Amino acid sequence: MIRFVSRRLLELVIVFFGVTFVIYCAVFVLPGDPIAALGGERPLPESVQQQLRTQYGLDLPLWQQYLNYLGGLAHGDLGTTFTGQSVSEQMASRWPTTITLALTAWTLTVVISIALGLAAGLRQGSVVDRTVLLGTIIAESVPIFVMGITAQYIFGINLGWTPIAGVADGWPRAYILPALIIAIYGLAGVSRLMRGSVVDTMQSDFVRTLKAKGMSRRNIVGVHVMRNAAAPVVNVLAIQLGGLLGGTVVIEAIFNLNGVGQLLYKAIQDQQGTLVVGVATTLVFIFLITNVIVDVVTSVLDPRIRND
Amino acid sequence: MRGLLKGALAASVLVTLVLTGCSSPGPEDAGGAPAELVVGSTDPVPNLTPGRQSNAFGLTLSVFSPLTFLDGEGELSYMAAESVESEDQTNWTITLRDGWTFHDGTPVTAQDYVDTWNTVAYGPNAFENSGQLSVIEGYDDLNPAEGEPTTDELSGLEVVDDLTFTVALERADSQFPIELSQAQTAFYPMPQSAFDDLEAYGKQPIGNGPLALTAAWTEGEPIVAERYEDYAGEEPTVDKITWVPYADRLTAYTDALAGNVDITWLPATRMRQVTDDFDEDNIFSFAAPGISYLGIPYWDARFDDIRVRQAISMAIDREAINGALFGDLNAPATAWTPSIMPGNPDGICGEYCEYDPEAAAALLEEAGGFDGQLTLHFPGGAGHDDLYNAMANSLRQNLGIDAIAKPSVGWAEFGQDRNNKVLDGPFFSRWGALYPSQQSTLRAMFSAAPNCTNCGGEPIPAVDAALNDADAAGSEDGTAYAKAQELIAEQFPIIPLFEESYNYVTSDRIVGLKASAVGEPILTQVVLAED
Repeated sequence: MIRFVSRRLLELVIVFFGVTFVIYCAVFVLPGDPIAALGGERPLPESVQQQLRTQYGLDLPLWQQYLNYLGGLAHGDLGTTFTGQSVSEQMASRWPTTITLALTAWTLTVVISIALGLAAGLRQGSVVDRTVLLGTIIAESVPIFVMGITAQYIFGINLGWTPIAGVADGWPRAYILPALIIAIYGLAGVSRLMRGSVVDTMQSDFVRTLKAKGMSRRNIVGVHVMRNAAAPVVNVLAIQLGGLLGGTVVIEAIFNLNGVGQLLYKAIQDQQGTLVVGVATTLVFIFLITNVIVDVVTSVLDPRIRND
Repeated sequence: MRGLLKGALAASVLVTLVLTGCSSPGPEDAGGAPAELVVGSTDPVPNLTPGRQSNAFGLTLSVFSPLTFLDGEGELSYMAAESVESEDQTNWTITLRDGWTFHDGTPVTAQDYVDTWNTVAYGPNAFENSGQLSVIEGYDDLNPAEGEPTTDELSGLEVVDDLTFTVALERADSQFPIELSQAQTAFYPMPQSAFDDLEAYGKQPIGNGPLALTAAWTEGEPIVAERYEDYAGEEPTVDKITWVPYADRLTAYTDALAGNVDITWLPATRMRQVTDDFDEDNIFSFAAPGISYLGIPYWDARFDDIRVRQAISMAIDREAINGALFGDLNAPATAWTPSIMPGNPDGICGEYCEYDPEAAAALLEEAGGFDGQLTLHFPGGAGHDDLYNAMANSLRQNLGIDAIAKPSVGWAEFGQDRNNKVLDGPFFSRWGALYPSQQSTLRAMFSAAPNCTNCGGEPIPAVDAALNDADAAGSEDGTAYAKAQELIAEQFPIIPLFEESYNYVTSDRIVGLKASAVGEPILTQVVLAED
């Protein structure tokens, strides 16, 4: 087990360097001049632009910029944006919001989709099965901003249950509605996977043996089927969590949650290179670590996967 | 689809019910004594130093007071300055009012102004608004094209006594008192304590205005300003203003609908339905000194013939677009500057700014038609999609040109392609003047010197000459600039589209809202409902 984990961690370091370099290059070869764009329609004086380029090292060759960036990183310095704000400060104020939102949404996805998948899988072909399938697909086909804005009007303005915007009300009130909307978009995939997995497991030989042995249905499903059916679902859920951390831009904007998604989106638009690299790298890192954890979890669930 | 959506929502109602325990928010404290205002702000504010900010005008004007002030009628009055005078329009004497203090208690002196302007103009400081000071003599020495400047003082500034200083300009400029008005924030004063730590000052600027910031601002958090008791100017009507940052204008609007925000910007996407959402009394629309154009790629020979440009202009139905997209809140442009400008030559564009599809088609025919695809370029992600698609449609239908609208990734890409002259079709162009004088817009859009990054048309030397004449000879009434606009009309370098408006929605607590001459509401003079 230790060998397995350490090998995955070593891979992580290699991927980290590769990914930061690729992202760094990608941002800096984007068309457009971020310094000239700082002034928007009001062009900055040439001398000001020149000064800013020198200040942020944009007049250096790309490889030197990257090395400088890595040098800073070694000291825990993520650099500054082109308006002089510290990147780590910007991220520090936003990560808690995003993590809270993502975890809430993810937990809702897990609970609801596993329940739905189990219900559908155990009653294959029934009305429940078909309703779950249809319902989740229909929910997912509504554009997310339509769902978001409609929910905001209904629950925020008409009913007044949840705040319209911001996190001032704290968890759970400020997070529950956006998290639920995000969760709805994960239901279709995960619940169907869970359903299929349950159907397969229920038809497997060991379940028949357990039934023949006289074990109660509750025990068969609760202990044996759940554990075996969970392995593939855990993988998908983990990937979803990674996606949630970086991919909730629309919902963050609608509910004015100052999270990382918004930060990344704005940073890409304004070509704030250091900010994009900083946020993206952290995201990659989280994604990689989640993957390692998932590998460990699935190998515990199903020891056959541990091929070391 | 609708019904199914309802189904999904009903399911989420259940969950929300359970999780929120059916609680509903109690009404916010309406507040008896202190008059408080919550402003929904949607523009990022990296730095609040007046010499650096470019989108926190409401806040800056609450925390600072300008030397001169232009009201909604375009009338010039003196605020922090007692007088701004000149014999020859080149050498100006500014006399400050006595008894004004900064929020740290120190008196506002002529030396503070001179030190501030030197700091803002000094190239290596890289203050974003430094260009506003380029009219002052010696600006070029602080901003050399190559290398470090040899001096850090503007040669045109001289302190006479505590309350008087003189300003020598690079050239005669009759508009100088107007340039000192509220929106040109580079001219605002900073106290001596600012120069020790400009970084900290950017987070909590100490000003000379009616309200003082209570704490240093942190990213993503509200900014709060409270009444400064020793303010020497007109008493503010509010005691406290809180600016709450929103990532999206629509969210701020929705929060205003729910009553959590007292005033916020009306987003373009809600211009048509705003009358359904808000009472007439809570919608404020102010004419703004902004104007939009369709820039012409003068580096592309297909647009050389003036008739091609005029035909494109006549093929666009400004009236219909204004109604369909802007809820009639903007106005079709009839000149190259908006009509809010003093002495604006309204209608100088004539028939070429009026919708006439037959004449447009005939004119294009006469000019020999148009070869290939016509692409309208605009910066993406800024809400211009509908307008540009509508214009492309008009050109396709009325002129039979294969016209499409194409957004860029963001401003950075658009700006670079425009400056490098690689755009292959008409493009987004606009100017929001910082002071209501035709000079601001005409110099930004049509003057070749010092640079013409905004010019959406070939620079015309005769226009430059006419502008210099008007600057020297003119007065505050602005009629002197008509000559320059006549020359522009003859050449038709770019196509005027819409005069802009700045639009706001408010809560019931606000019964009166006035804008200054730049279309920004004056937050410290809001009229509040009696509680």
